[in-house]
Amino acid sequence: MPEMTNKSEEQKAAEAEVESFRKDLGPFVVAAETTRMAMVFTDAKEPGHPIIFANDAFLSLTGYDRKEVLGHSFNFLIARGADPEALAQVEVAFEGSTDHGSEIRYRRKDGSMFWAAIFISPVLNESGGVEQHFASFVDLTKQKRQQAQSTMMINELNHRVKNTLSTVQSIVWQALRKASDPKVIRESIESRLFALSRSHDLLTRENWDGAGLLDLVNQAMEPFGVANGRTERFVITGKNIRLPPNVTLALGIAFHELATNAVKYGAFSNEAGSILLAWTVEPTPKGDRLILRWQEKDGPPVTPPIRKGFGSRVIERGLPHELQGTVNLDYRLDGVVCTINIPAPRGARDE
Amino acid sequence: MMILMIIEDMLAELGCESVTAAATVDQALALIDTQVFDAAMVDINLNGNKSHDVADALAARDVPFVFSTGYSALDMSEGYRDRPVLKKPFPFENLAEVLSGLLSR
Repeated sequence: MPEMTNKSEEQKAAEAEVESFRKDLGPFVVAAETTRMAMVFTDAKEPGHPIIFANDAFLSLTGYDRKEVLGHSFNFLIARGADPEALAQVEVAFEGSTDHGSEIRYRRKDGSMFWAAIFISPVLNESGGVEQHFASFVDLTKQKRQQAQSTMMINELNHRVKNTLSTVQSIVWQALRKASDPKVIRESIESRLFALSRSHDLLTRENWDGAGLLDLVNQAMEPFGVANGRTERFVITGKNIRLPPNVTLALGIAFHELATNAVKYGAFSNEAGSILLAWTVEPTPKGDRLILRWQEKDGPPVTPPIRKGFGSRVIERGLPHELQGTVNLDYRLDGVVCTINIPAPRGARDE
Repeated sequence: MMILMIIEDMLAELGCESVTAAATVDQALALIDTQVFDAAMVDINLNGNKSHDVADALAARDVPFVFSTGYSALDMSEGYRDRPVLKKPFPFENLAEVLSGLLSR
């Protein structure tokens, strides 16, 4: 923006007027100069509303020096490729006093953009004619960013809710296909629904940032009495690796299904059985892998099921698909062994 | 991940004999390259643009397909606005209707 070295007589006179205000009106001028609200005065008698006064807040908002701004038309700030709609809004603001600000996109000296709400009021002389205009700017940058974040969060929330509802739909379908006894159906739906709900609680505790694997295991196993007395029958070995939300949800479901089967047919279906759950992070040429191993023993002798239940399908088919890994569910005679091998979450090896 | 289960179950109810699932764009593209499919369902996901590669590959081989999504507002890019979309969760009847439409062409 070139400095105007030869100011017109009109510009000089207008600036001089503002100067005389400064001397006459003392505290009001100090207020205008020092307030954190960006403000300018423009000359109403010249075309283009040239700026005759700009306070420090305006200069720091726009990045210009005072001499770069004085004398320039009010509209010089509007983002390049001046939006006709914006120009029209500004004109309307100059013409009458609207009671709400107009939102205009402006360009700073360094080229960056910002949204501002502008409030323009006429300054009248003694005979009621418009001498100047007074414009204040409210920087809307933070507000716009918060609005955008808010919108994004609401869309994400909706997406998550839709996914949850689809999962519930799946749970209900399964329960209805497998059983006809209302009690059995209800129990099947509820146990899975509440497992899902608890996983959500675990994630909400940390704002859906993720969860620790150890915390997840403890929480998933809690309904199976692992906390009271069964603890010696359920042994955990592994670090509290950080898991992202999708992995948390998927593994939570897998642990629930494995535990449910253990209670019905496996190591928790008699007094003697126990389960060992251990995991490690291993480096491989393709990157770090998180390898979990669920091993049952001392339960009743295991026979492979003739028809795989929903839980087995979820573990053998849903889980590897969802986490892009491999799952092996082995119905060994002396106890079910399930091995899950997935890409390790970022930073897992440092835990 | 249970969503995959229910889609498979719905398809089985409709008489579908084989369902192949791909979790990533690369997996999908590899499958499309090596196998002949009668129809496909493509999840739009967050990165709507990424699944367009899959849609393009299907369209190139004349495989009819439907988009599925968990998002409400849909900003379909050019060339895909006339494709059917199933919003998750969807009832069995909707899937049946869409698939009949796809397979009757």
